[in-house]
Amino acid sequence: MNELNQIDLRSLVAGHKRAWDAFVQAASPLIHAVVRRSLGAYRLGDDDVLDATQDVFVRLCANDFRLLKTYDPARAGLSTWLAVVARSAAIDFARRRRQPTAPIDDVPEAALAIEDRHVEKLKIPEGLLTERQTLILRCLYEEERDVAEVAQLLKVDAQTIRSTHHKALLRLREHFRERTP
Amino acid sequence: MSTEHTPRSDKELWRSVAPDRSSSPAAVSDLDFAAWLDGRLSHGEAARIEAALADNPDLRTAALELADILGTPLPAAPPRVAVRAQALVGFAAERSPGNKLRATGAGLLAALLPSFGQGFSLQRGVMAGLAVVVAAVGFTLGGGLGNSFVAQRYASATVVRSFGTDTSQQLNDLFTDSL
Repeated sequence: MNELNQIDLRSLVAGHKRAWDAFVQAASPLIHAVVRRSLGAYRLGDDDVLDATQDVFVRLCANDFRLLKTYDPARAGLSTWLAVVARSAAIDFARRRRQPTAPIDDVPEAALAIEDRHVEKLKIPEGLLTERQTLILRCLYEEERDVAEVAQLLKVDAQTIRSTHHKALLRLREHFRERTP
Repeated sequence: MSTEHTPRSDKELWRSVAPDRSSSPAAVSDLDFAAWLDGRLSHGEAARIEAALADNPDLRTAALELADILGTPLPAAPPRVAVRAQALVGFAAERSPGNKLRATGAGLLAALLPSFGQGFSLQRGVMAGLAVVVAAVGFTLGGGLGNSFVAQRYASATVVRSFGTDTSQQLNDLFTDSL
């Protein structure tokens, strides 16, 4: 991915063949890996992965590199942006081909739970939890991810995740204890 | 009646209070999402993306997967990936404005034909030239037009002579029989 940082973006969006070839060489492993991972849930074959990867490159150079021209190096790294674009394109590709399927063991328990609609849910007042606290609780309890994964996502250490999680639960408990008669 | 509540597990507590997914989750642009993944956003901007992530399980899954991929060494892609992708963009000469103007003035028929690029035209020309050479060599080895004409004439003469011979023979037989 270091090679991606050396790509001359001006030459690339100007359509220079050498710049495009260098870009393709540098970006292929990342785009292919993202597409393969994204299509995993759709149970598509290797040929579909290749086609979807090609679809990403087509999107990038279509209409005189219109999509590539929207990239702003001041906002995000090229590899991160490419990964996001590749995932979006792969999901679009897969939806055109097939519905996603997942082994039942891979589905988080929360997604399989049948909610009793007769029970009125307690509501968290706005501002009780920060967006980050809510996201951490969602990742831990709904996505059933471990602390290390969430730490990697938020670019913080695992202890910070544990601490934020603990504070969020304390707030929830305090709030609902006060409300309970 | 006891007022003391049995403490619920953290997970149960969250499930009982977790807000439902919003029917219209906030849209997040690819660039904003990438900037958030890179940790380049201000606190306020990051909070907006994190709220969208908390509200949208698909976006959350995407974030977790991408963070995992971007944090690990990647295997090389199959060589076919690069070959196919590199073929999407042609050489600079094909894309120059002068070339476009020439293409515009190339006539109506040329405009109607699909454009396969300069490489394809060259390949087509070479193949046509080779076909002409092969045809010319074959023609020469076969004796050319002169020999072919003589052979054709000889063949028709033989047929005529054969026909004539047969007729003479038949007439001869007829007269012989009558005598």
